[in-house]
Formats: sequence, structure tokens, C-alpha cells
Amino acid sequence: MDKPKNLSFTLIAAVVGFMIAIQFQTVKKPEERDTRDVWQLREALLKEKELQSNLLSEIRSNEEKLSAYESKRKQSKEQALRDTLKELKTEAGLTEVSGPGITLHIEPVIEDVQLGTPVATTVVSPELLKRLLNELNMYEAKYVSIDGQRIINTTVIRDINRETKIDGHTIRTLPVEVKVGVDSMNNAEKLSNQMKVSKARDEFFAESLRLNVSSPSPNITVPAYENPIRIRHMEPIKEGGGS
Amino acid sequence: MWLPLVGLVIGIFLGLLTEISIPEEYSNYLSIAVLAAFDTLFGGIRAHLQNIYDEKVFVSGFFFNIMLAASLAFLGVHLGVDLYLAAVFAFGVRLFQNIAVIRRILLTKWSTNKEKIEKN
Repeated sequence: MDKPKNLSFTLIAAVVGFMIAIQFQTVKKPEERDTRDVWQLREALLKEKELQSNLLSEIRSNEEKLSAYESKRKQSKEQALRDTLKELKTEAGLTEVSGPGITLHIEPVIEDVQLGTPVATTVVSPELLKRLLNELNMYEAKYVSIDGQRIINTTVIRDINRETKIDGHTIRTLPVEVKVGVDSMNNAEKLSNQMKVSKARDEFFAESLRLNVSSPSPNITVPAYENPIRIRHMEPIKEGGGS
Repeated sequence: MWLPLVGLVIGIFLGLLTEISIPEEYSNYLSIAVLAAFDTLFGGIRAHLQNIYDEKVFVSGFFFNIMLAASLAFLGVHLGVDLYLAAVFAFGVRLFQNIAVIRRILLTKWSTNKEKIEKN
């Protein structure tokens, strides 16, 4: 065997060895076989179950703690204050309210619009809105919003430069949606019926507007009042002053 | 005579050290290629022992066999027929034949050597 023969043989043998090694590594990969017998498996299962029961008891104790804290918190003064604050906020109109109620739509009277003449630009006069609000309040409406603006005790509705404004929000386009929330579904039905026969409809019609009253719905969302409430003429009583 | 063996060992060593592993899908091709390489290797050894060794035949046979086996496996995969079994069969049979021939040659060599020693 002279040299070049041997050399090529060696090279090819090296290549073959390389291939074998790679193949070996590729095939070898999924090693880890589970060789435990039944008893070992049972033991492992037992261990896991113990762990599980431990975890369960831990969860239970944590939940107990949690409920204890919860009941403590409920009885505390802080919670009472929080509840009161929440109530007051709801009453003042700072929270979104959803419940039974009706929806009113103020629309232009299409039949009244004459061809060629422009549609009246003044949308709804503030006087009309005020009358509508009074009427709604008369029939025990609790939460009212006009065109997405919550009406609260200090809300002003007025005419500024021939624009109807509700607390700085301008009513520009018709139809205007008025959402009215009440206490119960019963009241909602009453309100709906009363609004259907109310004077307000005639007054709106006199200004070429139509007031559509929806049937009572169990779920109406009245948005929260967005602007900050400024209190100017009220002061907190100083403590310790005596009465 | 020992040099090829050393080459084989070096190759295995290199392969194990580099820790290359090919994807599962291609391991089929590689196994076929390894088989073809083995066949060629043993064919070369046999030819050498029979004194009909030809370098060109050996080297070209090595690469050609590998390529043929791989392409056969490839075709088989795409035709849905396990064509690589054909390659396995062919190479397996040839491997056995080659090894048998090598064994006989070695046996005769060994016995003639023994006779020579006995005569002496």
C-alpha cells in the first residue's frame, strides 16, 4: 500500500467516522426512559398527593385569613366612611349610574321642514330643556343626562350667544338623547307613560321638535358628572369648637 | 495499515466533540449515507486484499454511492414509497458479501501462513 492510496483511505475513513458520530448523536437524543416499576410509581404518586393536600390546606388557611381581614375591614370605621363617601358621590352625580330608566330623543319634525328653506339652526332652547327637566323631576326621575352631560343640582342650562349650553357643553346637533334613570322598573314604566302624555311634547312640537319617548328599559347607563364641583359658600365646621 | 483506523477514530472523535446534531427529518438520509460509506469502505478493503484496488474507483464510488442513496431516500419520501429500504437492502447485501470475501481472504492468508510456518 503506497502513500496516496493510504491517504485517501484515511481521509474517507475520517469522513465516515464523522458521519457515524453525528448520526449517533442525532439518534441518541431521546434518552431518558421511565424505568420505574409500579411501586416506585405509587410512591411518587403518594408524594405528589401529599404535596397537593399541603397546598390545599395552605390555600384554605390563606382564604380564612382573607375572610377574617375582610370582616374586620367591614366593621371598621374606615369602611363606614368609605361607604358614606360613595353614597354621597352617587347622590351628587359623580359616579356613573346604570339601572332601569327611559331614553328620550329630541328630533326635528321632518314634515315641518319646507323644501328650499334651511332647517332651523337653533337646536333646543334652554327654556324648553328646563321645562323638560322640571317635568322629569316632577315624575321622580333620579339621574338625568342630556346629550351625554349629567345633570346635577348645580347644573346651569343657558343661552350663550344663541347657543344652548349645559355647564359649558354646547348642544349642536339634533337628535339629542336624554337619558333618565329611576329607582325601579315600575317607576320607569310610570315615567314613560307620563312623559308620553305630558305637556312637554306639545311644547317641543310648537318649536318644530319632536320628543320621542322610549319604552322603559331595565338597563340604562347615565354617565358621571365630568367637571369638578366647586363649592364656594360652604365651609367645614371646625372641630372642638363645641355646639 | 493502521492509518485508516486512526482516521476513523479521529473522525468519530471530531464528530463527538463538535456536538453537531442534525434535525430528526434528515437523520434518515444520514443513516443511508453512513451505510453507503460503510459499503464503499469495506469494498475498498476487499479490493485491496484482492489486489484490484483502484483509487479512482474507490473515491468516486464513495461519493457516488452516498449521493445515490440520499437521492433515492429523497425520491422515496416524495413518492410516498419507502425507497430508502431498497438502498438499505442493496448496501446491506453488499456489505455482507464484502465482509464474507474479506473473511475468506484473511482465512486463506492465515492458513497459508500457518502452513508456511509448519513447513519451516
